[in-house]
Amino acid sequence: MIADGAEDEEKWLAAGAAAFKQNAFYMQRAIDSNNLKDALKYSAQMLGELRTSKLSPHKYYDLYMRAFDELRKLEIFFMEETRRGCSVIELYELVQHAGNILPRLYLLCTAGSVYIKTKEAPAKDILKDLVEMCRGIQHPLRGLFLRSYLAQVSRDKLPDIGSEYEGDADTVTDAVEFVLLNFTEMNKLWVRMQHQVSHDLCCIACESLPFDDPELRLAVGLSGLQGPAREKERRERERSELRDLVGKNLHVLSQLEGVDLDMYRDTVLPRVLEQIVNCRDEIAQIYLVDCIIQVFPDEYHLQTLDVLLGACPQLQPSIDIMTVLSRLMERLSSYAALNVEVLPYFLQVEAFSKLNNAIGKVIEAQEDMPILSAVTLYSSLLKFTLHVHPDRLDYADQVLGSCIKQLSGKGKIDDSRATKEIVTLLSAPLEKYNDVVTALKLTNYPLVMEYLDNETKRIMATVIIRSIMKNNTLIATAEKVEALLELIGGLINDPDESQGVEVDEDDFEEGQNSVARLIHMLYNDDPEEMFKIISILKNHFLTGGPKRLKFTVPPLVVSALKLIRRLPVEGDNPFGKEASVSATKIFQFLNQAIKLGQIPLVLNQLCYSLRFLSLSVGAFCLLQIIEALPNVPSPDLAFRLYLQCAEAANKCDEEPIAYEFFTQAYILYEEEISDSKAQVTALQLIIGTLQRMHVFGVENRDTLTHKAMGYSSKLLKKPDQCRAVYGCSHLFWLEDHEAIQDGERVLLCLKRALKIANSAQQMISTAQGSSTVSVTLFIEMLNKYLYFYEKGIPQITVESVESLIKLIKNEEPMASDPSAESFFASTLRFMEFQKQKGGAIGDRYEEIKV
Amino acid sequence: MPSRRRTLLKVIILGDSGVGKTSLMNQYVNKKFSNQYKATIGADFLTKEVQFEDRLFTLQIWDTAGQERFQSLGVAFYRGADCCVLVYDVNSMKSFDNLNNWREEFLIQASPSDPENFPFVLIGNKVDVDGGNSRVVSEKKAKAWCASKGNIPYFETSAKEGTNVEEAFQCIAKNALKSGEEEELYLPDTIDVGTSSQQRSSGCEC
Repeated sequence: MIADGAEDEEKWLAAGAAAFKQNAFYMQRAIDSNNLKDALKYSAQMLGELRTSKLSPHKYYDLYMRAFDELRKLEIFFMEETRRGCSVIELYELVQHAGNILPRLYLLCTAGSVYIKTKEAPAKDILKDLVEMCRGIQHPLRGLFLRSYLAQVSRDKLPDIGSEYEGDADTVTDAVEFVLLNFTEMNKLWVRMQHQVSHDLCCIACESLPFDDPELRLAVGLSGLQGPAREKERRERERSELRDLVGKNLHVLSQLEGVDLDMYRDTVLPRVLEQIVNCRDEIAQIYLVDCIIQVFPDEYHLQTLDVLLGACPQLQPSIDIMTVLSRLMERLSSYAALNVEVLPYFLQVEAFSKLNNAIGKVIEAQEDMPILSAVTLYSSLLKFTLHVHPDRLDYADQVLGSCIKQLSGKGKIDDSRATKEIVTLLSAPLEKYNDVVTALKLTNYPLVMEYLDNETKRIMATVIIRSIMKNNTLIATAEKVEALLELIGGLINDPDESQGVEVDEDDFEEGQNSVARLIHMLYNDDPEEMFKIISILKNHFLTGGPKRLKFTVPPLVVSALKLIRRLPVEGDNPFGKEASVSATKIFQFLNQAIKLGQIPLVLNQLCYSLRFLSLSVGAFCLLQIIEALPNVPSPDLAFRLYLQCAEAANKCDEEPIAYEFFTQAYILYEEEISDSKAQVTALQLIIGTLQRMHVFGVENRDTLTHKAMGYSSKLLKKPDQCRAVYGCSHLFWLEDHEAIQDGERVLLCLKRALKIANSAQQMISTAQGSSTVSVTLFIEMLNKYLYFYEKGIPQITVESVESLIKLIKNEEPMASDPSAESFFASTLRFMEFQKQKGGAIGDRYEEIKV
Repeated sequence: MPSRRRTLLKVIILGDSGVGKTSLMNQYVNKKFSNQYKATIGADFLTKEVQFEDRLFTLQIWDTAGQERFQSLGVAFYRGADCCVLVYDVNSMKSFDNLNNWREEFLIQASPSDPENFPFVLIGNKVDVDGGNSRVVSEKKAKAWCASKGNIPYFETSAKEGTNVEEAFQCIAKNALKSGEEEELYLPDTIDVGTSSQQRSSGCEC
């Protein structure tokens, strides 16, 4: 059976089942013909199949279930027999004629069940008789199943309170006694299996030798030598399969109406625990304690915590009591969570301190307990106290403290499951309070984190940030920010680079992005406190190295700029000259950011926020930028930034500064931008920006415009020249500024552009073939003319427009260039459209004769 | 075979831990309810006599452990079931989502002769909780599931208040009775009585 088990076992089961079916068939036939004698004979033969020693618990259970179903039919038949006048007492005697003891006892239990139903004798007497008789089977497997059969058939016939079998002589105490006795016997059988080596040995056990007989123990020990580890493994597996048969008794007890709190506390629990402790068997202890916790109600546990916890240190030192205690705490936590009204009881029985003590004792008793177990325990205890005593932060801190005590001296934890458990432990307060601020009050919290490796610290930091974001928790004081940064240190810097574990690029970015988001949750209305927060952040971020700064500096700059906006104008600073926060200070900070290589970004942000600044602050700000800009590494970028700043200065009404910016931009254009294409783009930017400037006085504006015109006509290619020059025409006409409306110069500009277009055309036609580019240029020019004509500039006459149209129409290559043709067509359509609109504009278009 | 053969009807109740399987059985058989959660270990049954079309039947109702770790011996007791009752908690989506697993597990383990038409009944329990406010599985959703599994009868019950429990079990009994699950017909090849078993057993006389 041991070696080539599975296949042979199937055969044996099949053989057993076949013989079984045959006898069941004859039993049924006997029942059908009301032949009690034959029914008993065949049922006994059928039950004989259960005497096999060759089946594993699973297969045996299969056979047992068949027997169980057949015996239900027999039971109904017995019941009918008694109604037909057969005396149940005689029946009870009759079944005992079966030759073998196992079938005999199955039949006896079946008859006993009928006996109780007829109520011809007190239930308790019959039950007692049955449970005693079952001692006849000492083979563990057979005994366990027989007793399990007894438990099942008696299940609804126990003299429980409110049961029909309760009477003067029968009380719930008898019911409890019966189940407890059956439980005890079953547990003994089950425990004995562990020590039973060969199946032949069972025969010795069958003689009902008490197991503490030293000789038997010796025999078991000797033959144990032959059975190597595999034998033990098989035995333990079989035992584990059979465990529910034993545990079922506890389920029956829990279902008894009469087992109230008193009965449980005074009888059931002490007796069950006594059996569990005394059996000194690990498998039995861990399973049965778990059963107690699961099958009995929470309020019973709460009221008997002392007893239950008191038993823990008495259990075998090697058992995994952690798991059991964790489950107990989990149950109690969810009980408290679901039933708020029971919370006072938790306080009344001092559940927390009892659990805390018990855990302390258990850990003390088991010196070499794996760190995982200890952490799991504390994790459950923490969850328990968070649920039950949410107002007692000191309890939570106490748990963390105990946990640290356990971790100390062991260095960083290298068990990955243990670190995972610590993450669970540390996440619990966040989940409970949905507020990291509360967790920050737990002084032991950061100390626990010390024991995590860098990777786990990072994970934990992400958990914390996620909690803050999810709950929109504002962290408002510098002190708290400092504490928080300590906690999320895993994302802020590398404590020792030497570890050199490469973090996945995506993970890194995600982590840094979450830090960036976090910055916006650190806020205080008071500028002074806010400045402190920003300074703390800066100090921490500086330790993070350039890779992180890329992510962390931008939001910090935004945060600083937001603060500037809230500052009072420099002059009337309520803090006086000594004020700790001032724009100056913040700019010093920004400067630092600039030096960290974040220039474009900082400047971008600055320019953007300039429009919100008070004038004096804005001016100050701009000066800072002027100082910083030469540090910009790329001339192209610096050029753009100058223009952006100029525009910002324009908004601040700072003419000299704006002029300075333009000058700088021009210098860069002249000295650094040499590529012709880049020049075209740069010039467009210059013209566009300059067009929007209204801060300049006539003189400055003239100088700048003149320069821009100069650049335009110096571009390399004629078409580019033409386009830049006609673009310059806009510099002389600003819609809302009457001071900058010079029709004369607009016309001059356009004429000049036209001239360039003409010379472009000639150049091309002398070179060769197509001159579509110039046609397109002419059409573009037409559009410009129309624009200004529509604006009503007197210098742009109908005639000039008409002659331009004529010019285009006469151009030969038009037909050969579809894109130019359609451009022209749509221009004409536009004119027609404007004409249809009527009004002043319509009238103007009316005048144009195409 | 005479009709008395079918006087015992076997019903199996399955579902996640804590959905109220034991409570439903206790409410139906004993008219009792307890608010306390008590885990079930292994398999446990209660019987109840039911009258149906002038005939008396014994309903054998098997309550099972929802927690896997309390089902150490396996599910040999599924065999011969006449009806399978699937229970979920209307306040727990997970218990509803797991119904498929329970149903499939049952069909594999019990291997009824005609799995397509084997009678199931679905019960959505705990409709009383929080006045129905904490409910997460709608009646519509449950009925759609039933329809997709071949029109399984559906009942919404409260084991606590006894709502609909009687009706549900009436239906269960009716379906169990109609079930095509005839008992295995066994006919012995030879008339060879009572000699085979003794040789195979071990020398032990117990």
